[in-house]
Amino acid sequence: MTLGLAALAFPSAGQAQLREIVSKSVSASSSATTLGLEFADEGTLEISFENGTVYVDGDAVGTYQPGDELDIAWREVLGDAMALENGPLTEMLAEWTVSTDIAATSGVAVALDAALQDALRDVGVLVSADDPSFEGSFEDRSTLVRALIGSASRLGVLEEALAGLDSEFRVHVGEDVVVPEGSVVEGTMVVIEGSLRIEGEVRGDVVVVGGALDLRDSGVIDGEARVADARILRNAGEIRGGLVDVLAEERDVEAELRDRIREEIREEIRSDLRNEIRNVTRGHDDQSFSIMSPLRPLIRGVGGVLEKLILVFVLGLVGAGFLAFAGENMDTIAETARKAPGRAAMVGFAGSFLLIPVWILGTVALAISIIGIPVAIAWLPLFPLAAALAALLGYLAVARNAGEWLADSSFPWTGWIRKSNPVFTLLGGLLGLTFAFMVGHVVSIAPFLGVFSGLLFAIGSIITFFAMQIGFGAVLLTRGGRRREYHGFDPDAAWDAAMSVDVDDDFAGASSTGSTGADGGEDVHDA
Amino acid sequence: MRRLLFTALVTAVAIPAAAQAQSWRTATMSRQLQGNDAVRVFVEYGAGHFSVRSVDEGLLYRMSLRYDEDNFEPVADFSGDRLRLGIEGTRRNMNLKGGRSGALELELARGVPMELDLEFGAVKADIDLGGLALTDLHLSTGASESLVDVSEPNSALLASATFEVGAAQFTARQLGNLNAERIQIDAGVGSITLGLDGRWQRDARIGIDMGLGSLELRVPEGLGVRLRKDSFLTALDSEGLVKRGNVYESLDFDDAERRIVIDLDAAFGSVAVVWIR
Repeated sequence: MTLGLAALAFPSAGQAQLREIVSKSVSASSSATTLGLEFADEGTLEISFENGTVYVDGDAVGTYQPGDELDIAWREVLGDAMALENGPLTEMLAEWTVSTDIAATSGVAVALDAALQDALRDVGVLVSADDPSFEGSFEDRSTLVRALIGSASRLGVLEEALAGLDSEFRVHVGEDVVVPEGSVVEGTMVVIEGSLRIEGEVRGDVVVVGGALDLRDSGVIDGEARVADARILRNAGEIRGGLVDVLAEERDVEAELRDRIREEIREEIRSDLRNEIRNVTRGHDDQSFSIMSPLRPLIRGVGGVLEKLILVFVLGLVGAGFLAFAGENMDTIAETARKAPGRAAMVGFAGSFLLIPVWILGTVALAISIIGIPVAIAWLPLFPLAAALAALLGYLAVARNAGEWLADSSFPWTGWIRKSNPVFTLLGGLLGLTFAFMVGHVVSIAPFLGVFSGLLFAIGSIITFFAMQIGFGAVLLTRGGRRREYHGFDPDAAWDAAMSVDVDDDFAGASSTGSTGADGGEDVHDA
Repeated sequence: MRRLLFTALVTAVAIPAAAQAQSWRTATMSRQLQGNDAVRVFVEYGAGHFSVRSVDEGLLYRMSLRYDEDNFEPVADFSGDRLRLGIEGTRRNMNLKGGRSGALELELARGVPMELDLEFGAVKADIDLGGLALTDLHLSTGASESLVDVSEPNSALLASATFEVGAAQFTARQLGNLNAERIQIDAGVGSITLGLDGRWQRDARIGIDMGLGSLELRVPEGLGVRLRKDSFLTALDSEGLVKRGNVYESLDFDDAERRIVIDLDAAFGSVAVVWIR
């Protein structure tokens, strides 16, 4: 084996050149700025100013004061970076240096400048036929590989990539290599952990391991191009021996394995979720023993009662609002619900059934005309809202009736409901309508009484349902409380009616029946 | 000038605004073209102003953003031939209230064969697809006001263009320039205007599936149009079309150089055909 190891380790024909930026990301807010660069050889650089600290590639390199000279200077750079691309961007960043004033006061500015210059100015290697220092040959590939790379992880890949190639070669480890346009390189080229840009011709095979291959328009590879764990940045030239991805098969197997593992994990998560949901819906969680287990029924029962009390309180507030601003409407609805509950319930049922058809037909009717479309857009949400409001108003009116009934009743604990105060009657009624639910919650605290609590919940639901239907029907009948269905006794009207009775006719009628008082009374009442 | 503007912008955001509840961040992201044969582009954007243009500076894309950094973060991910761009939320309960003040301006490479998938929500969108070489197009919008223009003919053959429009005001211009064999428009609720002008390079089929709203078809004179209507409670103003059997046709349909067949499936609303010179 004859090999110039020193030549391999230290590039003799290296020269500084600007790296090609392929991607940039510049962002700025009042408290932070970030510049992110990605280079053609897959290298990256990220510089962030964030909350008083400067980071380079995630490592804190120093501090700054928001709004200080360095911050302002850096924001100016970023302003330019936003507007520039590719070459001009690279040049602008490479030419940027901190001013002597800033450098004198801020060590971080100098470190930042150095980091930027280090990242932008890369040491590449120009290779040509006149450069013999990279030539070598090998007989024992394994020995060569171990000599070149300290990392054992690449050995398998490299051996695979070199299999069957000529024994004459050039090897470059950890450096970027350029074959300039017009130059010809004889023999196999091997680039490990670096990028290889070919603008000229390589009369042999090319192997790139763990880096990048950039074959330009003018580039020619006479033999095979083998890439292993490497990226192809550009494939614009000519590869006469074909392109071989050494790890393609391995990658496919890996991908298949990864997909299988992913699917298994996904299935496991799904299964866990299903069990979790099943446990929650069946209440299995409650069966597991913990220190809180004996208290759970009590907490649940008391919580249920509190929930209903809060509901009563909230509905009471809403009802008080209605009483204050639409008291007469509520009176009219309550009166209709009280005097004709059956009729109101029937109208409520019918109204509930018709709600959705009316909503759809209304929408259609409005949408047919172009002018109506904006109205339809309002109609779509407002109609259900109005229906919900009507149901709520009706329910509160029925609750008020229930409160009045409870005030008149001889039940214990209803003495506090004063009919003279409509808010009290409303609250009393709401408590009455939800009473079955609350008792159900209390009963559920005791063990073995689940059937009774269920029965009470069912009774509560039926009461709520009918109260809603009666109330909604009464709202519809009275057009939201604006049209009185039943007129109360009006003494003035009765007096006027009594005075307008034709005495002669009545007298004649009375002669035939033998009674005047009862008839006269009925007439007045009917009037 | 452009550099001056950006410098002013970056410096301006450094001024703390105590009155602002949100923390706005401006960002510019770009990537060079690197011999990309074809690219699949996925763009997602929630709320704000959204624009798309073509760019011809050796760039694969350039994206300029303004977003609330407390709730959102930009996405720019290029892997293989797949490019994913946009803004995504960082929190489960995001404050979308000010989202409408955000903006995303996207420029995509001219002439690079591209499958484009645009998805946006409550957005005011101004999209010009002119200059792009589209091979597949999918646009999905929620409650938005969208203008889609195809200012230059597509240099690639577009197999299929799909527009999914939610509750929106949607206007498309110069659809002929798409160079599409088939265009499908699925609209929910709203007002749709489709400009069938532009340069039609082949005969095409347009499928329109509309829920509730108004549709205006703006047809250039000389273009052969056949309209098949399968609708329920939809008024059709078919001026300039004659009814032949179950279809409506333009007078010169048989002699027209390019013919467009429109399959309209509409539920409620109105359809109007407007002829343009």
